[in-house]
Amino acid sequence: MTRSSGDRDGASRRDAGGPPVSRLLVALALIPTALIALPIVYVLLRSWGAGWEGILAELGRRRTLMLLGNTVTLCLSVTFTCCLIGFAAAWCTERSDLPGRRIWRVLCCLPLAMPAFVASFAWKSLGPAFQGMPGAILILSMESFPLIFLPVAAALRSMDPGMEEVSRSLGKGPWQTFLRVTLPRTIPALGGGALLVAAHMLSEFGALSLLRVQTFTTAIFQQYELQFDNASAAVLSALLMLLCLPVAFGEMWLRRGVRFSKVGRNTARRIAPARLGRAAPLVTLGFVVVALLALGVPFGRLLYWLVKGVSAGRGLEAIGPALYGSLSLALPGTVVTTVIALPLVLLVLRSRGVFARFADRLPYVVHGLPGLVVALALVYLSIRLLPSVYQTRVVLFAAYAILFLPLAQSAIRASAELVPREIEEVARTLGRSPLRAFLSVTLPALAPGLGAALALVALELMRELTATLILAPTGVVTLATEVWSHTNDSAYAAAAPFAALLVLISGVPVYIFTLRMLKSVPERQISEATT
Amino acid sequence: MYDVSRRQLMRVGLGVAGASLISGRVTPAHAQTQTLALYNGQHRPPVEALVAAFTAATGIAVVSRNGNSAQLASQLIEEGANSPADVFWSEESPSLAAIDEKGLLAPLDAETLKQIPAAYAAKSGAWIGAGARCRVVVYNKEMIELSALPKTVLDFAGEAWADKVAFAPNSGAFQQQVVAVSLMKGRDAALAWLKGLRQYGQVYNSDSAAVEAVEGGDIAVALSNNYYWHALEKELGPDSMNSALYHIGNQDPGTLITVSGAGVLKSSKQSEAAQRFVAFMVSAEGQAAIVGAIAEYPLRPGVVSPFPMKPFDQLDPAPVTPADLGDAADALALLREADLA
Repeated sequence: MTRSSGDRDGASRRDAGGPPVSRLLVALALIPTALIALPIVYVLLRSWGAGWEGILAELGRRRTLMLLGNTVTLCLSVTFTCCLIGFAAAWCTERSDLPGRRIWRVLCCLPLAMPAFVASFAWKSLGPAFQGMPGAILILSMESFPLIFLPVAAALRSMDPGMEEVSRSLGKGPWQTFLRVTLPRTIPALGGGALLVAAHMLSEFGALSLLRVQTFTTAIFQQYELQFDNASAAVLSALLMLLCLPVAFGEMWLRRGVRFSKVGRNTARRIAPARLGRAAPLVTLGFVVVALLALGVPFGRLLYWLVKGVSAGRGLEAIGPALYGSLSLALPGTVVTTVIALPLVLLVLRSRGVFARFADRLPYVVHGLPGLVVALALVYLSIRLLPSVYQTRVVLFAAYAILFLPLAQSAIRASAELVPREIEEVARTLGRSPLRAFLSVTLPALAPGLGAALALVALELMRELTATLILAPTGVVTLATEVWSHTNDSAYAAAAPFAALLVLISGVPVYIFTLRMLKSVPERQISEATT
Repeated sequence: MYDVSRRQLMRVGLGVAGASLISGRVTPAHAQTQTLALYNGQHRPPVEALVAAFTAATGIAVVSRNGNSAQLASQLIEEGANSPADVFWSEESPSLAAIDEKGLLAPLDAETLKQIPAAYAAKSGAWIGAGARCRVVVYNKEMIELSALPKTVLDFAGEAWADKVAFAPNSGAFQQQVVAVSLMKGRDAALAWLKGLRQYGQVYNSDSAAVEAVEGGDIAVALSNNYYWHALEKELGPDSMNSALYHIGNQDPGTLITVSGAGVLKSSKQSEAAQRFVAFMVSAEGQAAIVGAIAEYPLRPGVVSPFPMKPFDQLDPAPVTPADLGDAADALALLREADLA
């Protein structure tokens, strides 16, 4: 590990006329930044419509305080619970002698394939006890903890066991080693995952409206139901972005100045697993409970609706178009989002300048905004500025990028941080042009991160509903819009095949993501690429 | 080798992305025939039935953009004069009234407006009802006796009904009910009713969620539109229902008639075809198609619904019409004052 905080780009300065890659990089990083600025500008414009008095009146309402309380409670509780479950599960499957680790690893990833609104619907049908704040915390934690589990498991796996062995050999006990050596090295992974969970909670709508929990996001949707030209929804949106600020910058603070890259071939050696001993049955029981809660209940309910209900089979002819719609929007949308995210990550890793850091954090601030606000912002702006692209995929993909850039950023960064800058510099001194050095050395080393980014973004895009409804070309249906449509008509059996297919298809990116995250020994790939 | 194949993959991916960006708008196969763009907030079964009948009768194709009525209204307002929409079909009339107030709707043909009673169309003549529903009380038969239910919906806002009443302040129909109470009993009474409901009732996100909660035994009573219960009855089968409908009648705001409806966008470049579509909605054929697919009452005299609903002329509803309700704008102010929004 090297702790590098200062500017170490000496090599690139050697070129006459400054660093061409960096300039190109800055230009490329401007694209996502400009996109992200769109909803912010829109929200500020619309909030301004309320006037100072309106804004202050909105802020001073008792209800705003209630919403703030609920939003913060939900966000913190779910994030904390996910950190606990995700970390514990990752440690048990990577560092202990728990029986059946391989199976548990897979089961801990699968909840990612289950959209939160499907899970919430399943839980809700079990009774009113699962509605309200406690139920929401339980259900959303169960569906979100893989976002922590996966990066932490990957970090534990790729960690050099030598550090832990040295610590142990210096007489530190297992707990001290864990706290002083293991834990600090998982903090970036843990923080990155926690950031995603927290931002998800701020913008979650479908699940919360089913579970009857009111947050800023559900209130924003409500405002749009009640009134049509909306200043107070904009004020709530602005507040929501303010709430995202500490989340976005807190995570950056957690990882301040830390780089864990290693030069040289990593040892494939694994550390001797910790013995669970008599705790093993208890830990296993814990895993069984989590699997039942996170997977058993939602899948069981889905099966129940598949076989029961009069509307079964209704609208089945739409399965083909919906599947095609989902894939034809989600796959290119995923590529666009990931490609746009790449320069942001590279820029912030190479430059500690204000713009780089600002550009890197901005997407996280917007990630907490509900899809409805982003979609309406794009309607407003695109139809005025670029009417020819309105209701084409261009605008929809822009919305997808705005909504989900942080997922791609986090995944790419996990890989990018492991790539030592020196490697690219070596390629440069060997006479490769900056672009070629990047393409032949850095990009291949980023492959695991890019794969994870593609998988994670595809997962989210396939279940995205609000922006798709508003911005997709007229007449295009997706699996998610069909599920929404049928449940809206209380036709649950008709919705079930679409929901089941959505879960099945989501299994593919989950599988890829899991494979990528848990296979990582990127150093080996670097050395192959450079030889 | 590794990185070559990866780069190829990436190139293919970029190619796919680029191609799909360019392909852009969906071009219908029948590019020569006329195609109307329908922004649809109504439940899909009646819309699909009507569109099929309309296309069969006229040869004009219709492409639907399905969504939530209020969100589509917000979208139409953001689109303004550049909207690609020809017709807006809303689940609730206030969304239509709201875009009418923004000057986005064109007047409907006088002949169309004549087809149904004037109470179910806008006073401005810019939108027209397609089907009528009534506000009802859904109750769980095992949790409460029919005889214990009150004679006015206002009574539900009292302590006697604490934790027994589900309502959905987000629902457009509930907002219309609030305005009806305000028009009939005065604004103070409406505010007191909402405050009572907030204190003693249970907030649900939608009418259908409230009805399902009653059917599932979570709560005894729900204020809802009639058709949510009929849709659930259709899904679960009439014999297995734990809940039933209670029509208050007595010209109480608890039995309020509301409509789904449609209007033609002023910005439509195919206004003649769009007007034909709306005219078809209130024709005998169009009305039969609509009420065959959803438990709404036909607005055109002489059309019969196949659903086992309480006959329209026996409802004895509140003397407030959809035209009176307009965009229900005061509902928001009332809900905010009662801290429900």
